[in-house]
Amino acid sequence: MNKEFSVIGKSVIREDAFDKVTGKAKFADDYKFDEMLYAKMIRIKATHAKINSIDFSEIENQKDIYVITANDVKGKNLVGLIKHDQPIFCNEKVVTPGDVIAMIVGEDEDKLEHLAKKVKVNFTPLPTLTDPTKALDPDSVLIHPEEKSNLIIHHPLRKGDIEKGFSESDEILEQTYTTQLIEHAYIEPESVIAIPKEDGIKIIGSIQNPFTTRRIVSLATDLPLEKIEVIQAQLGGSFGGKDDTMCILSARAAVASLKTNKPIKIKYTREESILESYKRHPYILNYKVGYTKDGKIKAMKIDILADGGAYCSMSPFVTWRTVVQATGPYEIENVHTDVRAVYTNNPYTGAMRGFGSPQPIFAQESLMDEIAIRLGITPDEIRRINGYKNGSVTATGQKLQNHDVNILTVLNKAVALTNFSNKWKEYKKEKSVLNEYEFEKPILKKNKFIDPKKLYQKGIGLAVSFRGCSLGAEGLDETYCYMSIEKNGLVKMLTGLAENGQGLRTTLIITAAETLGIIPDKIQFLETNTSLIKDSGPTVASRGTIMGTGSVKNAAEILKERLIKIVKKGFHLDDNDVIDFRENLVFSRKKGLLTNFDFVCQLALEQKENLTAIGYYKSPEVHWNEHNGQGDAYFTYVYGCQVAEVTVNIGTGEVFLNKITAVHDPGTVINRLGALGQIFGGVTQGAGYGIFEEITHEDGMIRELNFDQYLIPTAKDIDEIKPYFVEGNDIYGGYGAKSLGEPTLELTAAAIANAIRNATGKRFFNLPINLEELVLGKKIRPQNLNRGSL
Amino acid sequence: MINLNCKIETPKNIDELLKLLAVENFNSKILAGGTDLIVGKIQGSKRFVDTELLIDINKIEELHKIDLIDDKIIIGASTTFSEIENNKIINEHLPLLKKAVSKIGSLQIRNRATIAGNFVNNAPCADSVPPLLVYNAELELISFGNKRTISLENFLEAPYKTQLQKSELVSKIIIPVPDKNIIGDFYKLGRRRAVAISRITLAVLCRIENNSFDDIRIASGAVTPIGKRFYEIENFTREKRINNDLLINLSQMLGEEILKITGLRWSSAYKLPVVQQMFYQLLNNIVIKK
Amino acid sequence: MKIKFYLNKKEIEIEVDPTIRLIDLLREKLNLTGTKEGCSIGECGACTVIVDGKAINSCLMLAYQVDGCNVITIEGISEDGKLHPLQENFLKTGAIQCGFCTPGMIMSAYALLLENPNPTEEEIKDAIAGNLCRCTGYKQIIDAIEVSAKELKG
Repeated sequence: MNKEFSVIGKSVIREDAFDKVTGKAKFADDYKFDEMLYAKMIRIKATHAKINSIDFSEIENQKDIYVITANDVKGKNLVGLIKHDQPIFCNEKVVTPGDVIAMIVGEDEDKLEHLAKKVKVNFTPLPTLTDPTKALDPDSVLIHPEEKSNLIIHHPLRKGDIEKGFSESDEILEQTYTTQLIEHAYIEPESVIAIPKEDGIKIIGSIQNPFTTRRIVSLATDLPLEKIEVIQAQLGGSFGGKDDTMCILSARAAVASLKTNKPIKIKYTREESILESYKRHPYILNYKVGYTKDGKIKAMKIDILADGGAYCSMSPFVTWRTVVQATGPYEIENVHTDVRAVYTNNPYTGAMRGFGSPQPIFAQESLMDEIAIRLGITPDEIRRINGYKNGSVTATGQKLQNHDVNILTVLNKAVALTNFSNKWKEYKKEKSVLNEYEFEKPILKKNKFIDPKKLYQKGIGLAVSFRGCSLGAEGLDETYCYMSIEKNGLVKMLTGLAENGQGLRTTLIITAAETLGIIPDKIQFLETNTSLIKDSGPTVASRGTIMGTGSVKNAAEILKERLIKIVKKGFHLDDNDVIDFRENLVFSRKKGLLTNFDFVCQLALEQKENLTAIGYYKSPEVHWNEHNGQGDAYFTYVYGCQVAEVTVNIGTGEVFLNKITAVHDPGTVINRLGALGQIFGGVTQGAGYGIFEEITHEDGMIRELNFDQYLIPTAKDIDEIKPYFVEGNDIYGGYGAKSLGEPTLELTAAAIANAIRNATGKRFFNLPINLEELVLGKKIRPQNLNRGSL
Repeated sequence: MINLNCKIETPKNIDELLKLLAVENFNSKILAGGTDLIVGKIQGSKRFVDTELLIDINKIEELHKIDLIDDKIIIGASTTFSEIENNKIINEHLPLLKKAVSKIGSLQIRNRATIAGNFVNNAPCADSVPPLLVYNAELELISFGNKRTISLENFLEAPYKTQLQKSELVSKIIIPVPDKNIIGDFYKLGRRRAVAISRITLAVLCRIENNSFDDIRIASGAVTPIGKRFYEIENFTREKRINNDLLINLSQMLGEEILKITGLRWSSAYKLPVVQQMFYQLLNNIVIKK
Repeated sequence: MKIKFYLNKKEIEIEVDPTIRLIDLLREKLNLTGTKEGCSIGECGACTVIVDGKAINSCLMLAYQVDGCNVITIEGISEDGKLHPLQENFLKTGAIQCGFCTPGMIMSAYALLLENPNPTEEEIKDAIAGNLCRCTGYKQIIDAIEVSAKELKG
């Protein structure tokens, strides 16, 4: 494919950046309206309980205070993106501590805070289920008895003959890995305002997917979709996290607004945000791998259990991506995978950047290193033996074609950039250098004191992945773009895809600019409003670029064709002449420079040419057999390799992240600045996942409710991140651009874990590899939730 | 919008302040940097929930300065961590204190949080405490018509509890200028490279003569319920020849002392071995530097 | 309580409830919503503003405490519609994604350059360690501050 572009691949300043550096950008909580009231949530300190009664008598006489409960929900109180199992207000029982029973509404936030304490909820605690491995026991507590089981979903995958595969193997390795619950930790807490309109309602909020929000608000209020207008405010980070929660908050605000006929604002504190919002699924992953002496993997048997927490949310789709990608980018003849998600009383889990991939990558990439070590070869060698090539067949039986299958290209590039093999051999330990501390003998024996020269140990590790682009067989995959050109050559465009803060609009502007041969400054992106454009599906699954550029390019091409006709007519050119649009100028191949873009637009409009167009892009067909997990799961894939270089303090368990090299093939890079930003940010999130981020809970009650305890990486936690792009060819998307947001995050923890193995000689099976995990081989926690400082 | 829902006074001088403190019928607290108090108020911490009156001492200049008078360094109670970190006198004479305060919280916190606020709260993890203990810091406490001096060590009573009377204020911290030959170091372990609550802190000051410890002072934080000096180990160490066995021995003794105080707690499995290990490493570094 | 202070180089006099926080004065009373609130406990730095030349968390300072002070917020650093070099370079280096941490981040950088026109990479990291960013991984932010320091020195 021709990769000579004029705008694509350059560094372009974001369209919204000016407002963001001056403080003018309006986030949801920055909106205020006359007579606006605030809403305060009523919750109880219980993980699983039956609600007997709610007593508002102490506040009923308060002037201008409204009570909002499930009785005010005119439509459906049970909603959800896939299954309708989540109440807007819990009037019968709570199944997790974030659940909201009712809301009180009034003018003064501070006063509401005090009044909330006067609402008396009488409840009976129910037995709790917080261990997902017990969820499917026959005598287990049922979280949603109407579902008859705690099983949310089961995805089986069967390829080849697993027993034959093991019998053909020389060695078999079986290991179990676990990953933890983590928080998205967007810096902006949730906020939404519902404003009554004459004929319906308007919602402005920190909303990831305005169209999904509109659907849920419609369900809850019983208003038809067209009477609900949802506007996305500037979104202060999401990472998949402002979907279900924001739908429900929007529904609550809408219900209150319809009752009071006033604008209602809900703004969450950080504590409420962490308490109620969904998180990343903790996984328990059992892998049994059979391989030959020369390193060929013959069979992989995988059993994965995901803790879905109290509600279904996106669990079926998250775990579906897991089942497709669980083997990693390796061609294996015999695969037998089962992925299950179950209900528990824990905080619920749903979409988060990575979406079911960071967990299996941690397990499968750890395993690949273990196999390499057992066979006496290097980690890059084992991956070269088994990694996908053009035409390889995946675990789902899909033949990889129509794009560059670049897994070994990115691997080789990363290995070369970091001098990987030599360093890996140099740092490699034959046995563990950790002299593990023993709880029974708290006073260290003499031999446990570490020679100061050996306190710090270096290590290097890598991880690779393939990732299906967009939704795949999860659902219908199409996008729309409305585009129009004004007389002065100004282009206005609108898509149904929402900006999540990552810079999608800029990427789509660049695509339009490239197609029309103009500079990005001439293009204006209109506000995403559900009343103005058709739904283009959610901004999830790293689909914004691949799907969005498709419809934008389509719209721009339609307009360009019309402009070319005008040019040829206006300048009396031959029909076979070729017209080029470059940097606002218009050229004829035969006559050279003709005029500028603005003039052509003016000409077109004078001649009453229609300069509006609707671009459309639909993903190619994919198909899936849910009984055996076979099919073309995604229409194309991206590939990545990350190398982590670390120093471990073997006395304290501290891991110093010296350098992360990230080599990714995202197809064509559209906006270099934005693409680099995706790598830096994704790697940093992935590093937090690897070494310290964790939401822990005691019987479902979360310990880390704010950033003093839930630690995310600061500017000082990674010394250096080195990005590198391999731009593979692809026939899909606009200009061959694919996905990048999620691949950048999914590899880092696995690469770090392998580097720690290289540094210490010990394999760690449980994320995060924090201080205690490293030197004690286990996590330890306070016995209760009390904190001395509180 | 959050409201602290209490009364606030802003005395202009010490006299006004002491009169306010002398009034019995208010449950009052001193407001200096506010980085702990305002958070505590907002989060409904039981330490502040009954506070009806905040007495803001930020307008009182006398409480906000660092002086070297004779052989004593005087740090005003409301001096911020940033001011301490960047002060010449501190840099020259109290390097462990400088190192400790420079690792507290974020710069925004250090620009507001004050030295006295750090130990008046007496959180186990207060980072300035171990260095102040090894520097033999004394405190001047004043109240209406009264003044007394008390060592920091005696002042600290139990977690979140001190000897401070309701009518009293810590006005200054008095530190004898350490001997020129004294060397030492401060160590902090957190879960993250910056803005991390301490898991372990250690402060060691010593004088090494003829390859033996002529004098040594040892304090820790975050591993015992309150910051603590270890006199028994110090006494044992004096005049001992320095060799690897001694350093190991001292580290084990430190572990034993801490174990005696805390017993086995949930965090002991990690903190006890690591504090011994890192104390050993710290001693090694000090000895090697020498 | 009546207070008087300089806000973005203009003197203002205003009646404040002494028990509200500075962030609420700025956002709710004065409508300067550029300053953001992310955690309310001084951990995220989104609410950073400059008081008498120092970066502080406006969620941990009471409004009346700025009486007599010089306060600068994100709204006050560009002059005559011209962006401050920090703002300009945050644009150019791609230091912005969602933009929620950006105002606080720029204020921390601004305070750093006031005190230290020649910061090392390590000093820049120290200055913004109290400003959490979940999108950018900090690298392009650090670049923006480095370039700005060079430009401001001339």
